[in-house]
Amino acid sequence: MRAVIIGNSAAALAAAESFRLLDRSSELTLLSVEPGPAYSRVLLPYYLRGLLPRERMFIRDLADYQALGVQTRFGCAVTRVDDRQRTLTVGGSTLTWDRLLVATGARPVLPRVPDLEGPGLHTLWTLKDADGLLPELLPGRRAVFIGSGFVALQAAWAASARGLRVTVLEALPRVLPKVLDESGSAMLEAAMRAHGVEVRCAVGIERVERPEAAGAAPLRVVLSCEDPSLDADLLVVGAGVRPDLAFLAGTAVRYEAGGIPVDERMSTGVPGIYAAGDAALGPSVFGEAHAAQALWPTAVEQGKVAGANMAGGARIYPGSLTMNVAEMFGLTVASMGRFLEGGDPAEEAVVEQDPRAGRYVKVLYREGVPLGAVVLGDPEDLAVLAALRPRIRAGRPARLEPARPFRGLHRTLALQGSRR
Amino acid sequence: MRIVTMDPASCVACRNCEYACAFQQGRTFERRDSHIRVNFYPEERLCIPGTCLHCEEPWCREVCPAAAIRRDPVTGAVVIDADRCAGCKMCLLACPYGAIRFDPQARVARKCDLCGGDPQCVKFCISGALEFVEAEEAFAFRREGFDARLKELLSQARGGRR
Repeated sequence: MRAVIIGNSAAALAAAESFRLLDRSSELTLLSVEPGPAYSRVLLPYYLRGLLPRERMFIRDLADYQALGVQTRFGCAVTRVDDRQRTLTVGGSTLTWDRLLVATGARPVLPRVPDLEGPGLHTLWTLKDADGLLPELLPGRRAVFIGSGFVALQAAWAASARGLRVTVLEALPRVLPKVLDESGSAMLEAAMRAHGVEVRCAVGIERVERPEAAGAAPLRVVLSCEDPSLDADLLVVGAGVRPDLAFLAGTAVRYEAGGIPVDERMSTGVPGIYAAGDAALGPSVFGEAHAAQALWPTAVEQGKVAGANMAGGARIYPGSLTMNVAEMFGLTVASMGRFLEGGDPAEEAVVEQDPRAGRYVKVLYREGVPLGAVVLGDPEDLAVLAALRPRIRAGRPARLEPARPFRGLHRTLALQGSRR
Repeated sequence: MRIVTMDPASCVACRNCEYACAFQQGRTFERRDSHIRVNFYPEERLCIPGTCLHCEEPWCREVCPAAAIRRDPVTGAVVIDADRCAGCKMCLLACPYGAIRFDPQARVARKCDLCGGDPQCVKFCISGALEFVEAEEAFAFRREGFDARLKELLSQARGGRR
C-alpha cells in the first residue's frame, strides 16, 4: 500500500505521525510546495517582532521525516490528480497512490479593490511572505493593514513595536470580529489606540492609487464615503484565507470555495481520498456538518483522524471546536467555541470583568451547558478556557468561575470556590 | 515511567509542595512560580493538589505550534523547551487540568518536569498525599482504593441484610 500526503503543515504532519502509529511498513510520501522541512505559520508574527530567530520557525528537520519513514519531495506542486487510475502529477512526474490526503492548506485572499497589487503590497502567510515583509518594517514608515484578523493584528503589533505608523482598516464595525465579542473588541481597540495605532472600523476601500508627484507617498488608499485618503509606504492584507484546490479539477472530489466537505472520518467520499486542515470542511462539535475554521489545533485533530483512517483505522472525529489565543498590544486575547449571544432566551452569558486591571472573562451557557468563552487580559484566566473545552465537548451542564486575583494564603481561604 | 500521584483525601493543604516546587523551579518561595497548585474549597472542606499527569497522548504537545513540547527520554516527563517556546499560550488553552502556567517575565509557558526524576513536591509532602510511583502501580493503588470505597458503600446500602 502506498500513501501520499499533499501538504507539510499541521494537518499533514499530524496525519503522517498518526499513520505511522498504525502502519510501519507501507510507503508514505509527503509532497509540499514549500522548499524545505515544515515551519510553523503561527510563529511568523513572533519572527516579525524579533522574539524568535528565523531558524526557530522550523518545527521539523530532515532527520525527523527520516525517523518517521516518510519520503519527502519539497518545492514541487501537485498539478493534477487522477482518481480512477489513482495517480497524480507532481513536478512533471507521475506518482501512484492507494490512499491520498489533501492537506494543502489555504492561501490569503485579496479583497476586490481596484489596483490592490504590485510593489508595496504584502500578505503574511508563508515564511517567504515574512522574509519579504521584515526588511520593510522600518521606523517612521506608514503601514496600512487591510483586515483585522489574528494574522493582520499580530503583524500590526510587530510593525507598531518596530516604530512604524500603523493604521488598521476593518470593513466590519469592530476589530477581530470572528474571535471576540463586542466588549472584547472594544477593549482590544482601546489597547491598540494606546499603542498609537489608528483603528478605523466599518470602512470600505474604494481603490489604491500610486501618486507619481515628487515627495508623495508611494501608495494612497482611497476610502469610501467622506473618509480622507491614507498615505502609505506599505499595505499588508490580512483579509482571510481560502484553499486553492484547482488541481482536483476533473476528479470526483467535490469541493467549494471554502474547501472540501469531509465526513467524520475525514473522507471526501471518493474512495481512498481524504482531506484535513484548512483545505477541509469537517464536522464541528455543535453539529455543523461542514465547518470552515483554518485553525492550527483543528488541523492537528483532523490530520490525526485522517492519518489513522488512511492506515486502515476506524477513527471518528468528534467535531472541531474553535480555539484561538494570541497576545497583541500587550493583551492576551483568547476565545473558544460559541460566545456570541444569539437572542435565544435559553442562553445566558456570565461576564466577569475588571476594567482597571484590563481583565475580561465571558462564558456563554445554554440551559447550563457551556458553549464557549472569551478571555482578555490575564493569561491566568486562560485556565477557564482549558477547563471549558472538555465540558463543551461533553455537552453537560457545568458552571465555571474565572480565576480571581490571589494575594497570599489567607485571601484564598476567604474566597469561596476560588480555583487558584 | 513514574508519575506524581495526588490523593485529595490525605492532603492537608500545607502547601509545602508549592514552596518546594517554586524554590526548585524559580529559586523563590512565590506561589506563582510553583508548577503544583493546591486548590482549597472551604465550603466543601476540600483541598485538591494538582500538577501535570504527563499524559500518554499529551494534547499540549500535539497542539504546540512551535514543537517545543516533547517527552523526556529518560524520565518520561512531558517537558517544555523554553528556547523553542514562543509564548503563544496554546498549551494553556489545551491542558484540561490547568497544569501549564505562563511565566510573564520570561514570556514562555512552564510546567512540571518531574525535577529531572526527583520531584521536590513529593519529597516535602508531609501527609503522604503526593507519591512518586510507577504509573502502572498508581493504577493498581487507585483500583484498590476504589474497590475499598465501593465495598463500604455497598455494605452500607445493604444495611444489615448480609
